[in-house]
Amino acid sequence: MMDFSFLYETLLTLLTGVPLTLKLAVSSVALGTVLAVALALARLSGIFMLAWPTRFYVFVFRSTPLLVQIFLIYHGLGQFHAIRTSFLWPILREPYWCALIALSLNTAAYSSEVIRGALLSVPPGQIEAARACGMRTTVLYRRIVFPLALRQALPAYGNEFILMVKATSLASIITLMEVTGLAAKLISQSFRAIEILVVAGAIYLLINFLVTRLLQWADYGLTGHLRLPPVSADALHRGA
Amino acid sequence: MTNPHQPAVSVTGLRKRFGNLEVLKGISLEAREGDVVSILGSSGSGKSTMLRCINMLEVPDEGRIEVGGETILLEKKGGKTRPADLRQLQAIRARVGMVFQGFNLWSHMTILENLIEAPIHVQKRPRAECVEEAEAMLVKVGIADKRNHYPAHLSGGQQQRAAIARALTQRPKVMLFDEPTSALDPELVGEVLRVMRALAEEGRTMLIVTHEMGFARDVSSKVVFLHKGLVEDEGPSGELFTASRSERFRQFLAGSNG
Repeated sequence: MMDFSFLYETLLTLLTGVPLTLKLAVSSVALGTVLAVALALARLSGIFMLAWPTRFYVFVFRSTPLLVQIFLIYHGLGQFHAIRTSFLWPILREPYWCALIALSLNTAAYSSEVIRGALLSVPPGQIEAARACGMRTTVLYRRIVFPLALRQALPAYGNEFILMVKATSLASIITLMEVTGLAAKLISQSFRAIEILVVAGAIYLLINFLVTRLLQWADYGLTGHLRLPPVSADALHRGA
Repeated sequence: MTNPHQPAVSVTGLRKRFGNLEVLKGISLEAREGDVVSILGSSGSGKSTMLRCINMLEVPDEGRIEVGGETILLEKKGGKTRPADLRQLQAIRARVGMVFQGFNLWSHMTILENLIEAPIHVQKRPRAECVEEAEAMLVKVGIADKRNHYPAHLSGGQQQRAAIARALTQRPKVMLFDEPTSALDPELVGEVLRVMRALAEEGRTMLIVTHEMGFARDVSSKVVFLHKGLVEDEGPSGELFTASRSERFRQFLAGSNG
């Protein structure tokens, strides 16, 4: 029979891992996005020395398992004397930073392709119209290109965010006590794997439910131009 | 306000090649302030390319463009010509309003936002003033009730009138029209031509690439006929339409049932 008090205890314990899970997901997507925009712009620059390394980077990070990347960054880098003695070591010996770096580099590779596609989807005529009225390139990107690309990228980007929430569970493998890490610890203490994993799964489900709603809301706010026209204020006045 | 002796746009010896295809083979033309110049020609004659060279949406391989007496600086690098001074080019572009065949309104902005974008973010004018002027423009082109709509909610004719209003809010010295009615359903052409006719009557300087022969004949002060990348004939519209020296232009007119 269901042991509700055990489930409740488990829930309380696992919930203490939620802040770390969210911190990893949000930070890695934020860092990854910055890197992804740079990668996408480099890829689209048409400059061989920028575009080619970018392709290679995307190829490597998309084609190897995230788990392997996390292991290699956490365990692998420490093998090099130069790194152990460098100023980066205080960061690279911390499992939190290693997980964050791996997640960020990984999501950047995927997101750069999403962003590249979104940038390519911006109608050339709208860019031309901006150039024709004398807009500088920086203003053109800020006012026209990025806003249009964002609207295109958002659904795919939402996917990436959801994937990252789940991917944070891999950080448990390098000792981080986020939701999955805590679950693994509880299992090794109680041997009640099913109940604990069900609770852990439910927590991810709830987080991603909220994330999905947030994304829907953002998408709705940004895509007014794709819906039916608003009722004008004049029409409301006439009606009144 | 306008000085009819001042050349508003002057194009000299324009050449442009796309790969092996030489589209412009040395074109010169001039529009004085207040002129309405219609540029005619069959497709492939280079008329759109010529127009797009005036604000450097296409960079000519050779030739000279002057807008309001200022020559656009060009430089040659590695066999390619390009604008030498982007700041100068942007300043000139801000004084030239462009209307495209495909409207090219910014789809994520409402009509009003489209109109105030360049005045605020390029010309750095105060927002309140820009909004006031934009609303007056929308009244002028007859779509004041659409100011909070997005471009996709408007008909083609309304979008093109919004695009004309957008170009006008830049307070341009010259207006360029690149086949402004070619993408419209026939019943929507009239409303756009009416707006353009009103602008011509205000004494605005306009260069219009068009297939609307009736409009070109009635509204323009000057007609230029391009054929295979060269000016085949040009002159005051009355003269050209009744007594062109060019056999090709007469054939072109006969073919277009203008």
